[in-house]
Amino acid sequence: MSAFIDARTVPEGTVLQPDLAIVGGGPVGISLALALANTPLHVVLLESGGMAFDAKTQALYEGSTVGAPYLTLEATRLRYLGGSTNHWGGWCRPMDDIDFEERNWLPHSGWPFGRKEIERYYPHAQSLCEAGPFLYEEAGKWAPSIGPILPLGDGGVTTRWFQFSKMRGSVLPTHFGDRYADDLRRIARLATYLHANVTRLGLDATATRIDELDVATLSGRKFKVKPKKTTVLAMGAIEIARLMLASNDVMPAGVGNAHDLVGRFFADHPIPRNTATLVLFDGKLAPFYQNNTDLHGAIVRAGLFPSEEYRRSHAVMGSSTTIENKTELDELGKAALAATAAALGVDAGNAVAYSLGCGMEITPDPDRRFTLDTERDALGMPKPKLHMRLADTDFAHFRETLKELGRQLLASRTGMLRLNLRDRSEWLDGLDWASHHMGTTRMHVDPRKGVVDANLQVHGVANLFVAGSSVYPTYGAANPTLNLLALALRLADHLKGLHR
Amino acid sequence: MKDLFTRRRIVIGAGGAVVLAAAAFEGGRLLRKRYAPSPYDDLLALLNDRDADAQIGEAVLADIDDFDAKSVSASVRERIGKRPLAQVMLEDASDGRLAEASGWVMPETLALLCALAAKAAA
Repeated sequence: MSAFIDARTVPEGTVLQPDLAIVGGGPVGISLALALANTPLHVVLLESGGMAFDAKTQALYEGSTVGAPYLTLEATRLRYLGGSTNHWGGWCRPMDDIDFEERNWLPHSGWPFGRKEIERYYPHAQSLCEAGPFLYEEAGKWAPSIGPILPLGDGGVTTRWFQFSKMRGSVLPTHFGDRYADDLRRIARLATYLHANVTRLGLDATATRIDELDVATLSGRKFKVKPKKTTVLAMGAIEIARLMLASNDVMPAGVGNAHDLVGRFFADHPIPRNTATLVLFDGKLAPFYQNNTDLHGAIVRAGLFPSEEYRRSHAVMGSSTTIENKTELDELGKAALAATAAALGVDAGNAVAYSLGCGMEITPDPDRRFTLDTERDALGMPKPKLHMRLADTDFAHFRETLKELGRQLLASRTGMLRLNLRDRSEWLDGLDWASHHMGTTRMHVDPRKGVVDANLQVHGVANLFVAGSSVYPTYGAANPTLNLLALALRLADHLKGLHR
Repeated sequence: MKDLFTRRRIVIGAGGAVVLAAAAFEGGRLLRKRYAPSPYDDLLALLNDRDADAQIGEAVLADIDDFDAKSVSASVRERIGKRPLAQVMLEDASDGRLAEASGWVMPETLALLCALAAKAAA
């Protein structure tokens, strides 16, 4: 078993020459390294942090935001082995077919391939997440043994399912660093360097290949990595864009940025609070709607999702709505409940009201982007600057979906709904984010429309690949971890074929 | 003598019952809240709690710029016809005819009835 290497102990001026370098020891980097374990490739995995949180390392994530409100950049991710899985909630869900489709009503939409292309990687990704058997919509078959699925009748919103990473009892979701450290150590041809920050992607003179990576530690040590075959950027969407933009010694616009696309189309999933109030006339709600529930060997929770058909026919973005806490109605709410129940001829004597939570997909926006700030971090790297934007239409899409849910509740005589948010200021008030960073190096077959191609290779740079949710052209509403792992496993297969 | 006494008691008892029934009926009518007559009282009679529903109606009216009670009542009357209100509600929901009252998503016909109640109360 090989030990991890502390980059602070690497002699100054060292040049490492692996076949392949993976930059970033988060879930993507770890999964890639594991997937390449049985190949003849000598791999170096470079992780900025150590095995635990360190404030000075975390401070390398600092940056600024202008425009619409957003979280502080250093608070949305974690910089040590395992990356942001060290604080994730464990929510898993595969993307839908429509998330990959080009939609004529949605500019910049469409992946270069459909869901089928990554479908076969989902079981392995699910296994890495330790999320139990791959049930998702199948969970509906067993759910009635616990409680009834809400009768919503025909319409655009249906009950669908999340699964959770190993969240059993007091056990936290899988932290990839802790969980897979020993597996990484067992790989004979892998060298994992901790406290190793890549500060520059060095293009060769032709600007078509990565020749070297500059590595620095916070202790001041510097060395180089010269990958013989390939470099894979496996950090989060912010750091990948930042590193590509900052590596501007050969190409002034940065690496892979000939068409000014690196850093653009940044996305996250907004989580507006208390978006709606749901009233169930009979007050009966199965536990899996409110809580993580053991079901058929998995931990599941039901959510309310717009169907793919509804999203296509009504031109709305993806979303997921969860039923949260019991809540009290005000006088107008009580009057609306009494009047509606009486008019429908239903008994609402046992009615119960709940607040609703949600995660929204937002529209791709080239001007929601990262650039480099003039301020620099402790390693001399320019800090990232986020230009944040959020369109009113994004809120309108979700409101329309919620209204459809309200319609279905009435038509099925199950309950009714209040839409709590209306004006932009109401949506933005208390708005939270899922910290699902996506989209800064989007995928497209056309170099003028995407940073990477369908194989995740940076356009114009033959030996540089990008793995992770930064390549998503459109985002869906599903939690990204399971999906980005499937994409990384597909990349591992591509690299195996390339270097056979 | 005994027959006469019995007949008398029956007559008095029956008369008393009639008086009590009449008093109860009239008392109920007197105690019930009275509203100024409106041209759409037939529609407002369909509501469960006219005062509470008028509050909902105020919220509905807040979203409607030019509410014409005469034309609205005519179209609601036509929409309902002789059908049970519950049937019309379900038809509204199925067909997506909805209105909002301070965010509450309601069948449009019910929302308009509430709006008429608010107009009548104004």
